Amino acid sequence: MPTVVLLDSSLSMTRPVSVEGSEEFQRKNLAVHGLTMLFEHMATNYRLEFTSLVAFSSLWELLVPFSRDYNTLQEALNNLEDYDKTCLEAALQGVSNVVQQEWGTSCPCQVVLVTDGALGIGRGSLRHSLQTVKQRVDDKKFPLPFPFPSKLYVMCIANAEELQATDSMDNLEQLINLNGGEGQIYTMEGPLCLKSVQSMFGKLIDQAYSPFHAVLRCGNLTSDVQVFPRPEPVTIDEEVDPIPKTVQTEGDEIGTGATDDTEEETSTNQMAGKSPNFCVLLHGSLKVEGMVALVQLGPDWFGMLYSQADSKKKSNLMMSLFDPGSEPLPWLGRMSQLGPASDAAENPYGEDDSKSPFPIQPKHKRSYAQNVTVWIKASGLQTDVQKILRNAKKLPEKTQTFYKELNRLRKAALAFGFWELLKSVAELLERECTLLPDSAHPDAAFQLSHAAQQLKLASSGDSKYAVFEQNITPMLTDFSGGGGADRI
Amino acid sequence: MRIFSVSHKTAFVVDHCPYMAESSRQLIECDMLTKSRSQGVIPLAPVSKSLWTCAIECSMEYCRILYDVYPTKKLVNYIVSDSEVHILNSWKQENQNTQELMTALAAVGPPNPRQDPECCSVLHGLVAAVESLCKITEYQHESRTTLMDTADRVANRGRIICLTNAKSDTHVRMLEDCVLETIQEQNKRAAGSDRLMPIQQCELVLVHIYPQGEETLVSDRQKKELSSVLSSEVHSVRAGRYLAGKLNVLVQQHFDLASTTITNIPMKEEQHANTSANYDVELLHHRDAHIEFIKSAQPSFHCMNGLKETVTLKWCTPRTNSVELHYCTGAYRISPVDVNSRPSSCLTNFLLNGRSVLLEQPRKSGSKVISHMLSSHGGEIFLHVLNSTRSTLEDPPSISEGCGGRVTDYRITDFGEFMRENRLTPFPESMVDAACRTPVERAKFQLERHTRYWPMIISQTTIFNMQAVVPLANLIVKDTLTDEDVLTCQKTVYNLVDMERKSDPLPISTAGSRGKGPKRDEQYRIMWNELETLVKAHVGTSERHQRVLDCISACRSKPPEEEERKKRGRKREDKEDKTEKNGKDTEEKGWTTDSERLKGVMEREKDEQSECEIIKDSPDSPEPLNKKPRLATEEQQPPEKSKGPVSLLTLWTNRITQANSRKHQEFAGRLSSVNSKAELYQHLKEENGMDVHENGKATR
Repeated sequence: MPTVVLLDSSLSMTRPVSVEGSEEFQRKNLAVHGLTMLFEHMATNYRLEFTSLVAFSSLWELLVPFSRDYNTLQEALNNLEDYDKTCLEAALQGVSNVVQQEWGTSCPCQVVLVTDGALGIGRGSLRHSLQTVKQRVDDKKFPLPFPFPSKLYVMCIANAEELQATDSMDNLEQLINLNGGEGQIYTMEGPLCLKSVQSMFGKLIDQAYSPFHAVLRCGNLTSDVQVFPRPEPVTIDEEVDPIPKTVQTEGDEIGTGATDDTEEETSTNQMAGKSPNFCVLLHGSLKVEGMVALVQLGPDWFGMLYSQADSKKKSNLMMSLFDPGSEPLPWLGRMSQLGPASDAAENPYGEDDSKSPFPIQPKHKRSYAQNVTVWIKASGLQTDVQKILRNAKKLPEKTQTFYKELNRLRKAALAFGFWELLKSVAELLERECTLLPDSAHPDAAFQLSHAAQQLKLASSGDSKYAVFEQNITPMLTDFSGGGGADRI
Repeated sequence: MRIFSVSHKTAFVVDHCPYMAESSRQLIECDMLTKSRSQGVIPLAPVSKSLWTCAIECSMEYCRILYDVYPTKKLVNYIVSDSEVHILNSWKQENQNTQELMTALAAVGPPNPRQDPECCSVLHGLVAAVESLCKITEYQHESRTTLMDTADRVANRGRIICLTNAKSDTHVRMLEDCVLETIQEQNKRAAGSDRLMPIQQCELVLVHIYPQGEETLVSDRQKKELSSVLSSEVHSVRAGRYLAGKLNVLVQQHFDLASTTITNIPMKEEQHANTSANYDVELLHHRDAHIEFIKSAQPSFHCMNGLKETVTLKWCTPRTNSVELHYCTGAYRISPVDVNSRPSSCLTNFLLNGRSVLLEQPRKSGSKVISHMLSSHGGEIFLHVLNSTRSTLEDPPSISEGCGGRVTDYRITDFGEFMRENRLTPFPESMVDAACRTPVERAKFQLERHTRYWPMIISQTTIFNMQAVVPLANLIVKDTLTDEDVLTCQKTVYNLVDMERKSDPLPISTAGSRGKGPKRDEQYRIMWNELETLVKAHVGTSERHQRVLDCISACRSKPPEEEERKKRGRKREDKEDKTEKNGKDTEEKGWTTDSERLKGVMEREKDEQSECEIIKDSPDSPEPLNKKPRLATEEQQPPEKSKGPVSLLTLWTNRITQANSRKHQEFAGRLSSVNSKAELYQHLKEENGMDVHENGKATR
């Protein structure tokens, strides 16, 4: 989840905070101090996070585009200048644009807004924005909710009492509500000082930037792992099961399959580089064999592990999470029904690895995989009639196809209650019979009139002849070698 | 997404009254071929579908699309109404397919125009539909059972789609009132039943079908809440393609579908095989496949026919033999709108044959953006959404930078083999083993067994580097062993004994230890210990596993001696190290110390003579010739001499040796041996008049 730090650099941020002691701080200094702490934490414990820095006042500016280089971010933070008044709406719109340009609309992002809670006055103030939020035309919509999944964290360089004295707190809460309740407001406790700003950012870090440690387990082989990006809880059906599913910190690896167990443990083995690690072994073998390992993340929640190479040289173990549920990939079937291949009577992969029990075919074929009949467009019906006529002209060679197409049409006509068509096709076949050239095979005439007669009988709705499952079989003639009926 | 939304249950009610037999007046020419060719033949009159036929084929199309995109959990109950009610299927999942419905429809047949119109009504069907919506589906049942205390979270909602020919707006209101009344009645009934559920929400969709060329007697009406439970909407549609279009729009609305048109599909012309033209194919799928377009409102989102929206994506001709991996963020089942048209079936067959097609966003300028992919899995085609923007997963750290990344001798190949042995396969639902474990639990259990002793790196193991151990190692991890398996394991052990006797070198890693690594007997000791560790890890599995361990314990050297040897081994190692350090000059000294020890050895048990051979056996020296007899001696020790109980093997070997000894003339050496040991090169002693050992002393 990439992070956008949206830093208020309006003039009000330069207000001094009264500190007993020697140095005088501005609110801005406290903000920078808190962000420095966040960046330091990320650089050591969360270093794969992409972070960008946007400063805003009445205008906004992208100071650092998304980057993992926390030195650059820190530098930009240190060189921050002061500008004019606060205008949050434009800045949020800016954040929305920056994120969409980089990550599109499906990548979840975290927005960390750092402000003193003085949210502007008059036009462009948050109060004004929120008052007019319902009167917007399409192209001037309020930027929240963001089009991408997001969390909005508001870090106030102010304490709650101060914010509640004005309507700032209400406005910020409304902001979070506009974002679908996704986010949180943090305020400082006690006097505004370095210590309280640290404690506030500490809470944010615990909430949003705590690394996800887990244990990957394959039987008795285990490995401590960190998963990044952090898997977030998921709600599948808010009605039936409103409690979000979280990834258990114990995963089990199950065979092409293998499950993974993840369990919280304080492993601080810094010397680990040289002692063997199961992850490296698993990764190596998955890569060499071109296999994936199935990993269980919780009850009825699975994922897969595989070797993912970014460039030719670097590769790492990647975990993809499936949708929670008992059957996330239809072609694997129910996950709980996957068992060891060695339990099967016959090796499902074949003795020479030439077979595979996957993919599992669905019980019923999809419409495009079977020869369905649809006559919604006239052309569909015409094509089907023409197919019959084309084969009729090539009797007796095409007897099989002729009857196959004829029966297909018959079935559909019976189901649709389209008896008129059956009569019409019967007439067509009869006429075809009269138009047969002299050179035609005598069997052709017999088959045509037989087929026409059968269609007519079916069109009468007589239960004897209009049975759906029954097919018209070729007429047994002296010419057809007596095997006609058997051939169908 | 909610499972039990109104879309969970759809009841189709199709009017089968005599007036539905009326012609739709949409004429279809089916005598086209002959018309153009043979003159003089009077073409047949065109056919026209009845209102009934139109209703049936459009509703079947609705079901076809529904079942293609949602093979499970979206259920249809099909009801036909005339003077009575014909319920063609049930909510059961197994009844949810178009073939079954077609069969049932054929049995019903078209409406009988001669039936008394007075006793026919679509009302019977509507009442039956409400009753049916109260019936619990297998999914609702399953959820209720699993949720237990919170079973009330399982909702009962549904939709009734009624295809009829109404007489007027008043008639329509009458139908609505009837549905509302029936719901109220049925809900009362359902409250007291286990297999029924009261309806919490019902959507009534009335589709009035009238023949072409006629004025409609019923007006369209937007969705309106008739009560807290029932909402109703009315669509007045001409039969034929208008009706088909309407139901296509409805199925998209009802099931959150969206449309994608694949454009620029190159296809060979039917008539001229060497030319190709470009075709378009329209597909329906869940609208989440368009989430990126919907949110960013991209221009490729354009309207067609003013009615329906479709996203146009361009076909990218697949390059052969290139496996490209893309970040896929979702896969959605598709259904072609025009399933049996030539372009559609060409595309679907292409995909069903295992090919994939990348789809590109049409752009006038700029680089090409591939946003989707079509591909099939197990006979089903999916539209895959690909990440077309920057990915947060880019530039991941290499695994070699992390924990254990610097270790180079992982047993990669062995673990590959391990994975292949632990591959998964689907088992039928009924397959539960004696302990009631699901297959996946069995798989985990198997993994546990297979990893009880599994060293990860080559230098940590000896036995897994030995081909000779493979049969035992493969068998011992099994849940159950047959007698034959035990025999194979025992054979493996005998084979190892044999190797030890022949003093075959072992693939012991020398990494980490200074010098040339442990001596051979030490190597075997390590090997036997490791083998014991492996087998001990499985000894609790069954009595037969225990037998394998017994066999190893019996065949390998006895533990007390083992201890002694360990002690001595350590001393020897120290000495050897010294030897290495001091170089060849001190060879004599080394020899001396060895001899010194030998003296002590001589003073001990007689069979300790064997030890001197081992001591001489540095990795450099040629293999001693009398190693074999030494082992044989140990094994042939009379029972009273051995410290533990006599193993089966010892008894057996003694017996065999006895039997064999009768069959051949004994070797001279063995005959003159003391305690089965004969001194070699006795003539040297005679010649020199000096004993080997004394020679040793002399140098001192």
